[in-house]
Amino acid sequence: MNALPASQTFPVTNAIGDAVRQLFPASAPAINTLLAIASLLALVAFLPVLLIWLERKVAAHFQARLGPMRVGWHGLLQSAADGLKLVFKEVLKPEGADSFVFFLAPILPASATFLIMAVLPFDHHLQVADPPAGIIYVIGISGLSVLGILLAGWASNNKYSLLGAMRSGAQMISYEISLALLMLLVVMVSGSASLREIVLSQQGTILDWWIFKLPGLGLIAFAMYLVTSTAELNRGPFDIAEAESELTGGFATEYSGISFAMFFFAEFVNMFVAAGLATTFFLGGFLAPRIGLAFFDAVVDFVPGFVWFFAKAFLVVFIYMWFRWSFPRLRVDQLMYLEWKLLLPANLVLLTLTAFFVIRGWIL
Amino acid sequence: MMETQEKISPPGFRTGSRSDASTEEYYLNMGPQHPSTHGVLRCVLKLDGESVVEVVPHLGYIHRGIEKVAENQTYLQLIHLSDRLDYLSSFSNNLCVCLAIEEAMQIGVPERGEYIRVMLCELQRIQSHLLWWGVFGMDLGAVTAFLYGFKEREQITDIFEELCGARLTMNFFRPGGSWADVPDSFLPRVRQVISRMKGALAECHTLLTNNVIFRERTQGIGVLPAATALSHGCTGAVLRGSGVAYDVRRHDPYSIYDRFAFEIPTGARGDCFDRYLMKMEEMRQSLAILEQAAATFPGGPHRAKERAAYKLPPGSYYSQVESARGLFGVTLIADGGPKPYRVKFRSPSFSNLSVVNAIAAGHQIADLVTILASLDFVVPDLDR
Amino acid sequence: MGVGGASPVTEQIAEILDRLPGGASLADTIEFVVAWARANSLWPLVYGTACCAMEMMSAGSSRHDWARFGVEVARATPRQADLIVLAGTIVEKMAQNLVTLYEQMPGPKYVIAMGSCAISGGPFYYDSYSVIKGGDRLVPVDVYIPGCPPRPEALLYGIMELQKKIRTEGRKNPWRVGTLFREPFIDTHSFARSQWEKRNQDETAPTAEQPRPGRLEKTTFPEVAAQKRPRPGLDNAGLLAAIHEAFPDLTAVADTNGDRVLELAVNRDHYLDLAAFLRDDPRLKLDLLLQITAVDWRDRFDLLVQLLSTGHGHKIFLRLAVDRDRPSIASLCPLFLGAEWHEREVFDLFGIQFTGHPDLRRIFLMDNFPGHPLRKDFDDPARVLRRPY
Repeated sequence: MNALPASQTFPVTNAIGDAVRQLFPASAPAINTLLAIASLLALVAFLPVLLIWLERKVAAHFQARLGPMRVGWHGLLQSAADGLKLVFKEVLKPEGADSFVFFLAPILPASATFLIMAVLPFDHHLQVADPPAGIIYVIGISGLSVLGILLAGWASNNKYSLLGAMRSGAQMISYEISLALLMLLVVMVSGSASLREIVLSQQGTILDWWIFKLPGLGLIAFAMYLVTSTAELNRGPFDIAEAESELTGGFATEYSGISFAMFFFAEFVNMFVAAGLATTFFLGGFLAPRIGLAFFDAVVDFVPGFVWFFAKAFLVVFIYMWFRWSFPRLRVDQLMYLEWKLLLPANLVLLTLTAFFVIRGWIL
Repeated sequence: MMETQEKISPPGFRTGSRSDASTEEYYLNMGPQHPSTHGVLRCVLKLDGESVVEVVPHLGYIHRGIEKVAENQTYLQLIHLSDRLDYLSSFSNNLCVCLAIEEAMQIGVPERGEYIRVMLCELQRIQSHLLWWGVFGMDLGAVTAFLYGFKEREQITDIFEELCGARLTMNFFRPGGSWADVPDSFLPRVRQVISRMKGALAECHTLLTNNVIFRERTQGIGVLPAATALSHGCTGAVLRGSGVAYDVRRHDPYSIYDRFAFEIPTGARGDCFDRYLMKMEEMRQSLAILEQAAATFPGGPHRAKERAAYKLPPGSYYSQVESARGLFGVTLIADGGPKPYRVKFRSPSFSNLSVVNAIAAGHQIADLVTILASLDFVVPDLDR
Repeated sequence: MGVGGASPVTEQIAEILDRLPGGASLADTIEFVVAWARANSLWPLVYGTACCAMEMMSAGSSRHDWARFGVEVARATPRQADLIVLAGTIVEKMAQNLVTLYEQMPGPKYVIAMGSCAISGGPFYYDSYSVIKGGDRLVPVDVYIPGCPPRPEALLYGIMELQKKIRTEGRKNPWRVGTLFREPFIDTHSFARSQWEKRNQDETAPTAEQPRPGRLEKTTFPEVAAQKRPRPGLDNAGLLAAIHEAFPDLTAVADTNGDRVLELAVNRDHYLDLAAFLRDDPRLKLDLLLQITAVDWRDRFDLLVQLLSTGHGHKIFLRLAVDRDRPSIASLCPLFLGAEWHEREVFDLFGIQFTGHPDLRRIFLMDNFPGHPLRKDFDDPARVLRRPY
């Protein structure tokens, strides 16, 4: 982590972090890391509960109903009750299942998402680690969750699970290519593979965010990222791995109690991670949405960076939910068609165009 | 290890084994508890990877023996049993039983009674189609459609509730008319539903019909040629989707359907999308019938004088109506006593479902779900 | 009913905690919180058999919205469900599957019997040879919701009652048979009778001189003459004439008057030829097989084949006498693909064999079902409960 004085590098300041750092200037990097780990742990505990509640409320309001209402204010504690119930529920292992793999499988997607969270820059100093090749790390780790799903499908000794897992394996591995290409595009324009450097390359006004800074192409790339990551997340309309109306429970058909809860929670944290990456790549990460007016900028700068990060990430999360509750599901072959025949060529063209733009300096 | 095992094929499969060293076909059990078999239908699939080689439906998971029960009940009690067959078009079923009894006993129906019958049957056709629309969407993964369908459906259910207190199993029609007159609020409510439904149908089209994914999922899937449909005895939207314009309301008019102008939509290709469009168009035509009926709704008595006893003269009697799913028929065989000697219900779902193997073979599992949803069966009606 | 599963875990924790000072109240707190979570997070299994399933779906729809209670996470797989709502009739063939589903659910698991059929067999209690007379004969039921079908509000009330029950179950309130019915049994019949008797003795009660206020005036309805509906297509005489051209020796004819459908008593030698002729003749074109069914006349079976012309609209019914001792008849499958299932149904319920049928199995009943239920002499006291009146 760079040991530059915060006030020099970053125009936006973080009150708590700065206060602690000023007290112990010598151990600033260590304090940063500790703060980040603490907040990450809090986040890990809190995010799934919030996201599941949000999903249920958003879905309900899309569908002209209310959603959870009875537990806490507007059902805020609903997912807490669900989680607690799942923890205290009987855990079943189907006959003929491979015990070790069966119980290992749910841990992998959950740990993969939390590992990616470690490199997400929530704020200037709120980042557990910032490896120079952060993007390579993200791509590498996200492969773990595919492994978890495949193992789950294989170990369950159930044809539905196996079908779901195979579908999901094919889907996620295909879409990872597009996702990696899009990340490459961002690396190309920002000139760094470190997630924080990518955010910092977008400093300035809203128009300096990569979604706008790259004229036209940025918007296209963002839209493609949304589609690709929705598929990568196994969410509707690409939720063929779970496809409730076809495969009952998909790869998680045989999972009950806490091992199902792991899958369930990982799915939602994963969604947040994908949204966080979208924020980092295209929406200026923790940077405040300045528009160039002195007064307005002063106001938005006053708000801490992590608030902006979460605001943007939750906006993207909302878009994911919007997708899910609007569209019918694609078929397996159509999903593959979309990736290999449409998205991948489009991605390559986009990458080439972007390279051309970068060389010509056609960047706002 | 697997190769040495002798594979025993489950009953009902006719295609030979195509397994060789590199591929192996396998069997997948769908149901009786499965979200897309709409109740307790059970399908055993023979699969080659994701594609369906053969489907064998297994019925009887809700076979209640209604025909046997009916032999020990009076003719009027038949009406309540018919509710529980195809509970989504219970008015049509009631009407069919009443028509058979009326034909046997030479009972007439006053004008108002006929209007009440037609309007209620059409309202329920819309109600049933709305539910089907929602479930069709849900089977394709659009859960929101399900809720939208139900939301509109509740408006019509309200009318039925006010009428007879029931939401599903109406038991409302009697030989010679209906059990009660409609309340004063009936006509205003129907008009309100008509005007509301037009907007709702446009909403349905926006949400599903015009969606690219939806079209990709339904167009060209499960093509049912007209000859196959006829040979299997398909009726209703399944037959019309294949291009055969047979509608009992037009070709064998019962009640007063010959007085109303309505179109019979027919499909060109006979795929899932055509069957879907048939149902959507039928809703529009039902609204047209309702509009015409509401404009000329007459006064007077709602039923004819009830008979002291409903004993059918010996013989066999048959009546048929167009229910929401197709041709629903009742065969009553009377021996002169107060109870029928034999009752046979001709359920449209039974024949409609029998084509599933013919049209689903070769498609994927996801398409099978679409096809099952487009055939629109009600399992208790299938099994009786 | 909180059967099996996680209850032992909480019990073990409580056992350890009870020994510590102040541990009992901690155990109580844990138990309270767990019970709260369980009560508020009931995930139902997607399971509906008949009409009640529609009302269950209505309860999930926008107007009633069981999501308010946290119930909307309907799971298609029993592994993740906490609650089965027995929505609809349960028949013998389904019974085994229902028990399997229940056993596949992890504990604690709960069952709601929704509607008359799931409570007692409902309208199919008497005379039915396949309906299980109540879901509680198979799985332990927590809440019963009467109705046919119950309204969605009733289901919501049932869910709230179940939540109430879950909140109170625990160490202090263990489930035992004796504590199941806390309220004393009230013989409502005797109670109502005594009330009536008391009321009859009352001086203010109506007497023969001063009768009770009568029933509402019974409206009388006019006699309406039956109208003759137009019959589409050829009339019966025309149909008969067309058939006689090809089958002049077909003499046995029933019901030729114009009001009814033409019904022909067919010799079994003519059967397939006649059916093929009826299907292919351009004037008749009876291309749709409505159904094949049978009647048991105690001395013989009558096979009833109903054909319809989609082009013209007319119908012809064929009637074949089948020997009751050795019931066998040629299959119609080569002519109508749809005949396959209809013939399987007749085989299942009447036991008539169809020669040339590609796949003659039972269609509705289990393979080991004894006898053929729609025969008039079918009786199975173990399954069928006769009406006492």
